Amino acid sequence: MTKVMDIKYGLSATFNSAKDLFEAAGKVREEGFTNWECYTPMPVHGLDGQMGLPRSKVPCFTLAGGITGFCTGMLIVWYMNAFDYPLIVGGKPYFSPIYPFPVFYELTILFSAFGTLFGMFFLNGLPRHNHPVMEHPKFGKCGDDKYFIVIEVEDPKFDDDETQEFLKGVGGKSIIMIREPID
Amino acid sequence: MSAQDSSTSDDNFDLSTKLLGGAILGLGTGLAGLFFGLKSDDKSPFLGWLLGSAFWLSVAIGMLMLIMIFRVFNSEWTPIVRRQLEHGMAAFPWLALCFAPLVAIAVFGGENSGILWSWVNPETSTIEVTKEIKVEEDVLHQKKASYLNLWFFVVRMIVYFGIFCGLGHWMRKVSFSQDRDGDPKWTHLGMKLSAAGIPAAALALTFGAFDMFMSLEYQWFSTMYGVWFFAGSIRAALAVTIICCLYLSTSGSLKGLYKQAHQYDLACLSLAFTVFWAYISFSQYFLIYSANIPEETFWYTIREIDPNTGERSGWFWVSMGLIFGHFFFPFLYLLFYRNKIVGPRLLFIVCWILVFHLLDLYWNIIPGREIVPGLIVGFEARPVLGSHLLWGLASLVGVGCLCVWSVLRSFQSADADDIPVRDPRILESLHHHE
Repeated sequence: MTKVMDIKYGLSATFNSAKDLFEAAGKVREEGFTNWECYTPMPVHGLDGQMGLPRSKVPCFTLAGGITGFCTGMLIVWYMNAFDYPLIVGGKPYFSPIYPFPVFYELTILFSAFGTLFGMFFLNGLPRHNHPVMEHPKFGKCGDDKYFIVIEVEDPKFDDDETQEFLKGVGGKSIIMIREPID
Repeated sequence: MSAQDSSTSDDNFDLSTKLLGGAILGLGTGLAGLFFGLKSDDKSPFLGWLLGSAFWLSVAIGMLMLIMIFRVFNSEWTPIVRRQLEHGMAAFPWLALCFAPLVAIAVFGGENSGILWSWVNPETSTIEVTKEIKVEEDVLHQKKASYLNLWFFVVRMIVYFGIFCGLGHWMRKVSFSQDRDGDPKWTHLGMKLSAAGIPAAALALTFGAFDMFMSLEYQWFSTMYGVWFFAGSIRAALAVTIICCLYLSTSGSLKGLYKQAHQYDLACLSLAFTVFWAYISFSQYFLIYSANIPEETFWYTIREIDPNTGERSGWFWVSMGLIFGHFFFPFLYLLFYRNKIVGPRLLFIVCWILVFHLLDLYWNIIPGREIVPGLIVGFEARPVLGSHLLWGLASLVGVGCLCVWSVLRSFQSADADDIPVRDPRILESLHHHE
């Protein structure tokens, strides 16, 4: 048997209401932390703004997907109908942006959807089967009536004692160091 | 009343007077044109009058559809926006009045009654491929005569405007009555009326577009024409709504109430209908292009080339302008988040959309075949620039001033609050966020 080792993941603080969490989140942002996250039982409107999160980058993936799809459609039609095996269909030109438009259009939508879905997966670091915060002994509570803020040790401003004091100062209860087991 | 209030009402009084003056000037010019056109057998004043009226009618129809769509979806963010649209409904009776001269000339015009819609008078000349014939000799009219005849047309026009005016009146009544007594029954009644009103108004606007615009060249037909008119109407209505809300939120009753989230949602709808308009317009072209039947393709041909020389005409550039200016540019512009939430940026693109909506109507209404014996194909396509443009601008100003005047009067004198304060959804609407 090997001894189970663990590494520190981050400090978690519990809050009893969305209001407390919302105010605390603003203070964490003002303090200059960057690697931290809020865990809430339901969506808290405006929390992303309060945490200082920028807008999602997913639309860039959607646009890139859409443009790729449009060009792919054009390329398919041009290659097959006008280059590799020129063929007259219904008296229409070999290649024209009009008669095969449904192909461009559908591929634009398909690739946009792919871009959106996989871009979202990529940006969220999905799929993953486990997350260190699940090691928190009361993690299930944030699916019920508790609110957590977790500041990761990765954060450049993180310091065991100071961050603990800081979380206490912003109203956090039962501050716990989450440890991620490794073997 | 404070000094400031009285000065505002004086300004409004001045504005109302100016608008009425503009309406009388514009419509007077247009009416003189109709008289002159009837005497000299010139179609252009009629096309101009139809164009100007059609533009404002499309805005009003779009607003009516938006109100009813908001009602049936029972959406939480819309009440403060809906109130502005309800004031817009005040324009419908005046729009009916604006269309009355065209119908009156069809009925009482005598031998010139077919000057705008040639099928109204079976004695009018028309074109069969390249030959000049009378409408009654045209098999394409004979087959459609049970629908395209004067009396059925008059009845239909009355029904269309009856539906528009009636639904507009009821949409105002259910909302304004709730301001007074706060009774939730008005919300339920509004939803039921809207559920019945959407198909009724959809049929009215579809057949209205067939009768008023598509039948200008009665040989041609497109089943997508009604949906095209709907898509354009909603785009125009959303543009006017956004302009109105932006104005009221900077200097009027919506200050602090109309938030970024409302604007974002309206702009998203605008983006959605930009795509929808392109989808419909392209599909119509695509089907006719693929089928390649002469009695359908001539409609697009005269919008692309001069039929006598086969060279590109001015309409080709208008068509390209519509593809790039009415679809690609607004589409790409509205994809960007900040263009939707920053007031001046959105204001720019909705004004752009309104201008191109007018161009879209121009492109649909104005081109047509004018019989010129001796030419190879026997007719000439009406050019892009011509007297119809000036008549169109006159009636655009005239009908516009009349509509804006009636809506302004509704804002001032209707027994309604600035927002529907007793609507069950009003709190959610005020607290709406992205």
